[in-house]
Amino acid sequence: MSNDPIIYVVDDDPSVRDAVQTLLKSVGLRSLTFESPAKFMELKRPGTPCCLLLDVALPGSNGLDFQDQLAKAGIQIPIVFITAHGDIPMTSRAIKAGAVEFLTKPFQKDDLIMAINQALERDRAYLVQNAEISELRARFQKLTPREKEVMDLVVRGLMNKEVAAELGLSEVTVKIHRGHAMQKMEADSFAELVRMADKLKSPFPQLAQHEQFTA
Amino acid sequence: MPGLTETAIRPKSQPGSLGTFDSRSGISRARHETIAGANRRRDMRRFHGYQGYLVAALAVLAALGLSLPAQRLFPYPFLFLFFAAVMASAWFGGTGAGLFSVLLSTGLVDYFFVPPVHSLAINSTDSTYFLAFVACSLVASSVSSAKKRDEEALKDARDRLEMRVEERTAELQSSNRELAEREHQLQLLTEVIPQQIWSGSATGAIDYGNSQLMNYTGCELKDMNTERFLQTLHPHDRARFEKAWQQALATGASLSGEWRFRRSDGEYRTFFTRAVPLFTPEGKVARWYATNTDIEDHKNAEQALLQTQNELAHLSRSLTMGELTASIAHELNQPLAAVVSYGSACGEWLSASPPNVEEARIAAGKVVQDGTRAGLVIRRIRALFEKTLPAKQPVQMNDLIHEIQELVRSEARQRKIAVEIHLLDNLPMVVGDRVQMQQVVLNLMMNGIDALRDLSSADKRLIVRTSQNGTGHVVVQVEDNGPGLAPDADKKIFEPFFTTKPQGLGMGLAISRSIVESHGGKLNAVPHAGSGAIFQMILPVPQGHENE
Repeated sequence: MSNDPIIYVVDDDPSVRDAVQTLLKSVGLRSLTFESPAKFMELKRPGTPCCLLLDVALPGSNGLDFQDQLAKAGIQIPIVFITAHGDIPMTSRAIKAGAVEFLTKPFQKDDLIMAINQALERDRAYLVQNAEISELRARFQKLTPREKEVMDLVVRGLMNKEVAAELGLSEVTVKIHRGHAMQKMEADSFAELVRMADKLKSPFPQLAQHEQFTA
Repeated sequence: MPGLTETAIRPKSQPGSLGTFDSRSGISRARHETIAGANRRRDMRRFHGYQGYLVAALAVLAALGLSLPAQRLFPYPFLFLFFAAVMASAWFGGTGAGLFSVLLSTGLVDYFFVPPVHSLAINSTDSTYFLAFVACSLVASSVSSAKKRDEEALKDARDRLEMRVEERTAELQSSNRELAEREHQLQLLTEVIPQQIWSGSATGAIDYGNSQLMNYTGCELKDMNTERFLQTLHPHDRARFEKAWQQALATGASLSGEWRFRRSDGEYRTFFTRAVPLFTPEGKVARWYATNTDIEDHKNAEQALLQTQNELAHLSRSLTMGELTASIAHELNQPLAAVVSYGSACGEWLSASPPNVEEARIAAGKVVQDGTRAGLVIRRIRALFEKTLPAKQPVQMNDLIHEIQELVRSEARQRKIAVEIHLLDNLPMVVGDRVQMQQVVLNLMMNGIDALRDLSSADKRLIVRTSQNGTGHVVVQVEDNGPGLAPDADKKIFEPFFTTKPQGLGMGLAISRSIVESHGGKLNAVPHAGSGAIFQMILPVPQGHENE
């Protein structure tokens, strides 16, 4: 499997699908085309950087609704909308929901390429971030429940003494738990531990779904 | 009917009464007059009853008056005048009057002339003379009355003959009048009815036209012939008429058709001609009779109606297209997006090093393809906006539905309506005006889309089907799964200006129906159990194309 980025094109117009694929191919971008969101959902996507080129007006469905569905399903993929019927409310809804760009047909090559590059960039960042968070999550899982409790409180800015009072422990015990936590989380400094905790708390749906960091 | 005018005797018809002629009373009046005349003439020659006796008396007295003075001149009794009186009495008064005059004369002669004079006594010597006188008188009387009777019988016979002749003459005259009257009525009929009438011989030589035809063409009846008749036909119609006329003559079948005839002022008007043969009892064609009916105004009215319908259809079409313009403009962006993308790709392939000419060529071909597709969409829209006279041609409904689907696709998509098209393979062609057929399909599909407009359901479907029914007709059904029709609405929806839409003109279905009907088809709403509405258009397939 190549690690090259891949662009998914969902448009019901076969001509537009083929034209976009041809254009992307001519600038050296790999693409896969789908006539409907349902067909796209059937695909098992590889972990390569990707983005979705999505037509807004689809028969019996709607690109914006599909964007919501993806978000609800926790599927993280940058979306570039292409539409023949663009209007401002539609554009603003798409952008607010996290779309990278909203292009009106017929779009210019440079605009499309720029939007795709931006989307791929964002996806790469997601991937890096996702990888980092996965690592942190793995480290976090090694902590004992007590260490997790101590870490949660200290990163909120509580003094060791206050943590000890909160948990009914001695200050020395808190210090030992804190040291273990920093060691297990591979944090070089307390400041780094706080950043790590932030990342773990960040509202990535994938994480939010199966980890309640703030117990 | 050339003989009609020649033999027609025009009786002096009373003003205001054209056809009241009682032949029976005419004849009896004539007979009565004849008999009365004959009787009057007989009365002048003959005296009846006491008149005869009076005449006899007067004649005898006159004879006496003349004979008495004349007696002095003769030595013997002068009695000749009495014979004359007896003959005259018998002549004029008949046998009775004759005998009466004989009797009277006998007495008077005996008294005045036979000795002894002035006495009725007769000497025996004179008795023979006297008896001879009486016998002569009787003979004279009977001869005269017999002669008179013969003459009278002869006169009577002559009178009767005369009467008969008069009666027959009167009858003949009255039947002649009747015939003339009838011919006159017929003549009037041909002159009064608004149609032009013409007729021709069994071989087709046209030789008669009524005054309507003569006045119209400005031709004299005496100049009327086939050549002249054909000249009044429009040059473009002449050959067609001649062909039909020759065919009618050859087969003896009646002829009918529409052609333009030239009026005397040079204007052409369209007439409907119907010619029928009159057969002899033997079954041969005796003559041809024909009428020309002026249908110019009718045709013009028909044309005006067609034009109005066409303009209304165009207006309605323009309104529908107006509703669709925005979404069609967007729809055009699809092929344009493809064109721009292929064009850009083409540029990329060419500017690569080395240039990928093959890929560039393929992309350029696609540019042409999608540019053409965009052009087609525009052309179809323009056709729907254009105001053209209907022109019938073979139409494949499947293709037509695809074209209209392209126009409404964008609108349907915006309204999140899925359009399904189920077309029967090898659907036979129908004959019709392409634009008008498109209009009907467009109206039906837009109606369906409108029915689904306010539905919040996620499953909004518009289904178009084509099929062929048991009688070989092409059936186009447009179904939506919207709220359906109100129970009483299915009749009203086809009425003009009936609309459930705030923006609608309410002409769409009314015009669609009139279009379908003008193509010999039917358009109606199909009752069905499920939700939503089904509209169905049934179109006839031209003969011989049912299984194409």
